[in-house]
Amino acid sequence: MPIPTLTQSIVITLIQCLLVVIFVFVVVPLTVFAERKVLGYLQQRLGSTRVASGHVGVTGWMNRGMWKWGRVPVLSYWRGIPGLVADVLKLILKEDVIPAKADKFVFFIAPAISMVSAVVVFAAVSFVPGVFFTFPKWFPYLGGLPVSGGIADINVGLLWILGVASVGVYGIVLAGWASNSKYPLLGGLRSAAQMVSYEVPLAISLLAPVVLSASLNFGEMSARMAVGLPFWGLVPQILGFLIYLTCGFAETNRLPFDMPEAENELVAGFHTEYSGMKFGFFYLAEYINMTVVAALAAGFFLGGPWLLPFGLQGLVNPFLPAFLKWFGEPHAIFFVVKIIFLLFTYIWVRGTIPRYRYDQVMSVAWKYLIPMALVNLLLAALVRCFA
Amino acid sequence: MEHFIETIGRNMFAIFGVMALGGAAFMVASRSAVHSVLGFLFAMLCIAGCFLALEAEFLGMAQILVYAGGIVVLFLFVVMLVEMSKKKEKEVFQLQSRYAVVAILLGAVAFLGVFRKVLFGAANPQALGLLRPELAQGLDVAKQNAQAVSRGLFADYLLPFEILSVILLVALVGAVVLAKTERV
Repeated sequence: MPIPTLTQSIVITLIQCLLVVIFVFVVVPLTVFAERKVLGYLQQRLGSTRVASGHVGVTGWMNRGMWKWGRVPVLSYWRGIPGLVADVLKLILKEDVIPAKADKFVFFIAPAISMVSAVVVFAAVSFVPGVFFTFPKWFPYLGGLPVSGGIADINVGLLWILGVASVGVYGIVLAGWASNSKYPLLGGLRSAAQMVSYEVPLAISLLAPVVLSASLNFGEMSARMAVGLPFWGLVPQILGFLIYLTCGFAETNRLPFDMPEAENELVAGFHTEYSGMKFGFFYLAEYINMTVVAALAAGFFLGGPWLLPFGLQGLVNPFLPAFLKWFGEPHAIFFVVKIIFLLFTYIWVRGTIPRYRYDQVMSVAWKYLIPMALVNLLLAALVRCFA
Repeated sequence: MEHFIETIGRNMFAIFGVMALGGAAFMVASRSAVHSVLGFLFAMLCIAGCFLALEAEFLGMAQILVYAGGIVVLFLFVVMLVEMSKKKEKEVFQLQSRYAVVAILLGAVAFLGVFRKVLFGAANPQALGLLRPELAQGLDVAKQNAQAVSRGLFADYLLPFEILSVILLVALVGAVVLAKTERV
């Protein structure tokens, strides 16, 4: 295999970054659309159906027929997708209002911090172990060079992820402060308290995979969690997954933990004063953070690029017949499917569980999740010690 | 192109160092306390970059996680709630240039005293390693420095490490006691 020169490796890294950004910007709008639709169906309505044109209009025409027969039109699943384009256009074209008494510099930089710290986490996520694809020989400048499955599969990947995710708090807190108005400030303070408290059980629940896999590298961890564990490794994995997912909901400020923007108490929380694309950045950052949390949950607990979750793959693999070998190997597609399923779970939970009160949010974190995460860590250590 | 990138790569430490100094200068010079915290945050992130340039990736990440992600958030939390526009608070916090000059001189002297050997002495021919080299067996210390640090902390320096955490615990309990008595 040819060894890339320094410039070539930088170009390859840029291509990887581009691929990740494309992935994010495909997944995020579809999640926004799915949120409207799935929430709609959970609440027995149709979700967004109004903005539809051209090709989609055909289904609209067929729908009208179905309404006339007195049936709910099944084809309206995809109606409303052009609404996403309308949303983006609205965000870009809307007037960018800055409050007169706002701190202009901080007001400007807060959404950028949110957005950057959300995207940069993907640097340490490895989508598939080893080589993702190789450039064909005829490709100019990069012919024959391999592209690895992660941008930077560094030795301390998990610490990078946790560190950068904790920098994301600044975006919200600074936005709340810089708006110079009381609802955003309350939202910012609440979110700081909430995110700092939930980081503790989140980090402890991620320590269980670290103990089980004896590594901090994302790729190595997901490989060992998927195919390198004894049978008893199942228990700390499943417990840890539930704890991690709960903390992940809180870290991304999603319902049932959406204290920072609790609409009925705080107008819109920390981004009350934001409009236009600055608001758009917060909106994007929230959904990218959801994708990040889903990617980590999929990587550490659901077997990452392997098919079966919770380390079952390693138990099943020796018994796989030869014609099913494809299912025993890692593929990026499994990883992406798991991320999408977890994103669906976010919406599912949002439509099912009502919001906690603020004191309940805090007591859930400190009185229940942290002890549970510690017990889970102990279980993981026992498994590592004896099994 | 190749040469240019290589030069940048070799001077990464200097670049991050200068950026960290810039952040620190912004922190000292800015009038608003929240801007100061932002400068401090930037300096902390750049110091993490310095550690990375020296291939001490564990230290770099710990720097981001502990300082940028934890301690500076708490600073921000406090600073946000203090309205610095009133004259009295300005006098307390912002108009102390005479004392500041004295403090800086004292700090510089202390710094030079502690790091005189590092700055002006001959370079240590041997890299610092674990006290008991047999602990590092089967470990590529240059590449797996998280594992190397963990072995150092939990085998070589276990007692100092535990004593340090007990001291922190004492400080924590002391803070709780002080905060409690004020309220009664």
